[in-house]
Amino acid sequence: MVNAAKVLQDLRASAERKPDVVVRLGKPLIDSGAVLKLDADAWLVYEQVAIAALDMGDDALALKCIQALETKFPGSPRVRRLQGMQLEASGKLAEAGLIYKAILEEDETNVLASKRQVMLLRAMGLPSEAISALVKYLDINYTDFEGWLQLADLYLDELMYAQAAFCMEEVLMLQPQNHIFHLKYAEILYTQDNFQLALKQFCRVVELCRDHVRGLYGIKMCASRLLKAAPSKDAAAATSHEDLEAMDLLATERLIALYGAPGAAAESSKVAATKWIEIQ
Amino acid sequence: MLLDPAIRDWVLIPIMIVMVLVGVVRHQVTVLLNGTPKKADLKSARETKALQRCGLLRAHGVHIPEHAFHGRKAFLSEAFEKGTYLKETNTGNKPRGNVMQDPAYVETMMDGMKKNMMNIVPQTVIMGWINFFFSGFVLVKLPFPLTVRFKGMLQRGVETHDMDVSWVSSLSWYFLNLFGLQSVFTLILGSGHAADAMRDMQAMSTMGMGAAAGPNLSPTGQPQDMHKIFLAEKENLDLTEHEWGLENVETRLLVKYGKKPASVLLDQKKAKIAKLAGRQATKEFAAVAAPSAAAANASRKKGRRQV
Repeated sequence: MVNAAKVLQDLRASAERKPDVVVRLGKPLIDSGAVLKLDADAWLVYEQVAIAALDMGDDALALKCIQALETKFPGSPRVRRLQGMQLEASGKLAEAGLIYKAILEEDETNVLASKRQVMLLRAMGLPSEAISALVKYLDINYTDFEGWLQLADLYLDELMYAQAAFCMEEVLMLQPQNHIFHLKYAEILYTQDNFQLALKQFCRVVELCRDHVRGLYGIKMCASRLLKAAPSKDAAAATSHEDLEAMDLLATERLIALYGAPGAAAESSKVAATKWIEIQ
Repeated sequence: MLLDPAIRDWVLIPIMIVMVLVGVVRHQVTVLLNGTPKKADLKSARETKALQRCGLLRAHGVHIPEHAFHGRKAFLSEAFEKGTYLKETNTGNKPRGNVMQDPAYVETMMDGMKKNMMNIVPQTVIMGWINFFFSGFVLVKLPFPLTVRFKGMLQRGVETHDMDVSWVSSLSWYFLNLFGLQSVFTLILGSGHAADAMRDMQAMSTMGMGAAAGPNLSPTGQPQDMHKIFLAEKENLDLTEHEWGLENVETRLLVKYGKKPASVLLDQKKAKIAKLAGRQATKEFAAVAAPSAAAANASRKKGRRQV
């Protein structure tokens, strides 16, 4: 039991979203009542398990947690937001919206409720309203990189690549060490036909995460595109021809080596990859 | 010299118990007085976040390409200049009114006053009580000898020269309790209690303003002019030059995979420094040239006026 509590605490601290683990560990704790031995931490566990249970579709467990929290903290905005999420999970979007609205009327700075409201609009299929709500939210809570990521996703759904790229730049400034974000930015740039910049970003991905396959594919695609295209006008900013060839070679070599490693991939995908690389 | 056991039962222990009880009551009253924490205001949050945003751009601008950096720089510069992020947009150049009329400021002041009162009143009452009833009492004999220097600390209120230093007077017993009961309170009330007299004393010496000050109050408690802070930040931003971290990423990657010798990177760095130095020199030249040109212009104008 102590170990389960410890794991749950670690998950809370790292903000990882592993609902299956949380429900598996948390359910016996709550069902047996052992959770109450954790004192003040008990309520954090209740909240954590409630959200995980909603993720897993275990409505009975979620309801149990939320009710326990409700009796302990009646009228708390944090609990009401959980109730709103529960309503969302059961498809009652309008009612959930009313709850979030009420929380925000009491305290306009409530971050959790304003974030839920944005997602509610998205779930209702109103992307442009969701975008404007999220832009308003980010104007105040500028440092929330998850918000910027979400906004980038919303813009991508609307095929607004320039705006999505802007959002990803903000994410890069807030979380510069995460190669996944660099990859996303690089792919947006590639879609915008900005191969020169995309190549640099793909390089950054591979630099941060050695032998990142998707990054290597990106380098290969950008390099071959740039090699085929006429030499660009502003030669100063562009990568030199030799460098491009070297990059292309490097990516090809690494990809073949990665797919060739024993047990790395199925035979069919290995063949497909080699074929693709040869065509490029 | 012998001490009457009645002194122990009716003076020594009651003083200690009273002090503990007063500490507990003080804790409860402070909790009641503090009430709900003050709600943050959306606009002041936006104000502080804007400053943070500018700081981030200056620190982490390395990670975004040239065009992205310059776009943001221009936007923030203009926004700061115009005061887009200010809480009250029109107070920019209006002379500030009396601070005492600002409700937020008065509230912070009141909070500090309340805390100080909570500290002063009970301590004064207890000290008065001890002085009135037990002045001149000797309560304890310490089981160890002490040097004469401790006389002032242990025998306050009993002005005799000849008494041994290990005897403790009533007033000194009060002071010993005042400073010594801290850990007892931690045992009873848990950590972070408000019965701690020492902390209040420290708070009193700084007038209790340091901790109570809000986000846009300076340490002296005066509200700051955010527009000025924004302008200063704008200046900082204007001075920031963009240096892109991915300038030579291809070479770095090739070096990392051993396709190029590491010395290439070093050569690039040297070349860059040389280029920068060259640019610096031309700038200096321009700076020297500019004033003389301006002077020439001015003299020409003067000449025209004279004509």
